[in-house]
Amino acid sequence: VQPVPKPTRRRALFAVAGILAGAAGVASFYALFAPKPGAGVPVLALSLPDVAGREQALEQWRGKVLVVNFWATWCAPCREEIPDFVRLQDELGAKGLQFVGIAIDQADKVGQFQKEFSINYPLLIGGYGAIELSRALGNRLGALPFTALVGRDGDVAYVHMGPLKEAQLRALANKLL
Amino acid sequence: MRAPRWVDLSLALMLLASVPAAAGELLAPGKAFRARAKAVDARTVTVRFEIAPGYYLYRDKFRFAVEPGALAPAAVDIPRGATKEDPFFGRVETFRRNVSVRLTLPESVGRGPVTIVADSQGCADIGVCFPPFRQELSVTLSAPRPGRG
Repeated sequence: VQPVPKPTRRRALFAVAGILAGAAGVASFYALFAPKPGAGVPVLALSLPDVAGREQALEQWRGKVLVVNFWATWCAPCREEIPDFVRLQDELGAKGLQFVGIAIDQADKVGQFQKEFSINYPLLIGGYGAIELSRALGNRLGALPFTALVGRDGDVAYVHMGPLKEAQLRALANKLL
Repeated sequence: MRAPRWVDLSLALMLLASVPAAAGELLAPGKAFRARAKAVDARTVTVRFEIAPGYYLYRDKFRFAVEPGALAPAAVDIPRGATKEDPFFGRVETFRRNVSVRLTLPESVGRGPVTIVADSQGCADIGVCFPPFRQELSVTLSAPRPGRG
């Protein structure tokens, strides 16, 4: 998990991310020292169609803690962490946590997946263009899954490439809630 | 100065413990799935993917075209991969280490230099996948075709 620093709390976030990432064993030299990934990227300005083709602006979730997950049905590790997301959405949704999936995928496949696995949060269709947004957020290699946590103020607080452990994600979400 | 030393040590341990599986160590798809093309004869090219340890490619995600002209190969011969059961897609085949794909080029491709446009899609065992990735491979079809030219 890469913290996305605000100048005033950079050191604190750095320390927290180090502890969390170290505990989970997924930190990396890159993750700790990459310069300000995702800082200032206006994620809430994004608008994408949902599986029914209706345009959904992320701005509608301003004020919530957003977990924006870039994924695809063709990405097995992406699918594997989705049951955790469904559980956390159930558990923390009332507190203001909102998951949004951005699928680098076709709407029909995503719709099928949404039904089959009873996804309780919106899945938007990003197409390959959405990979570029994730690159802007620090996803240097355009790999999936890639997840960004956006605070209630609309600023990106953390970004992470690869699967997130449920406990790790819960801890990060609780910090922002 | 006990605290700073403790911080330094824990940071060092964290880095040591986490580096092998780290996201920062992830290879770019061009390095993880490096392809090269080799002419076999005037109409046959093999495209060999060298797959880095810890990475794999999906058999049904290969796409090939021949430039100039965005021509589809007349035939694409991909060996069988290792099968695994995917809960969403059913039976899928994957390759590790390497795979050689044999392309029969269309009649309209002449002799000389062509570019093979090779799309592949794969994942890394650390739990990430790459979107379909394109490599453009130059190859010169030099061998004369029997009974022609």
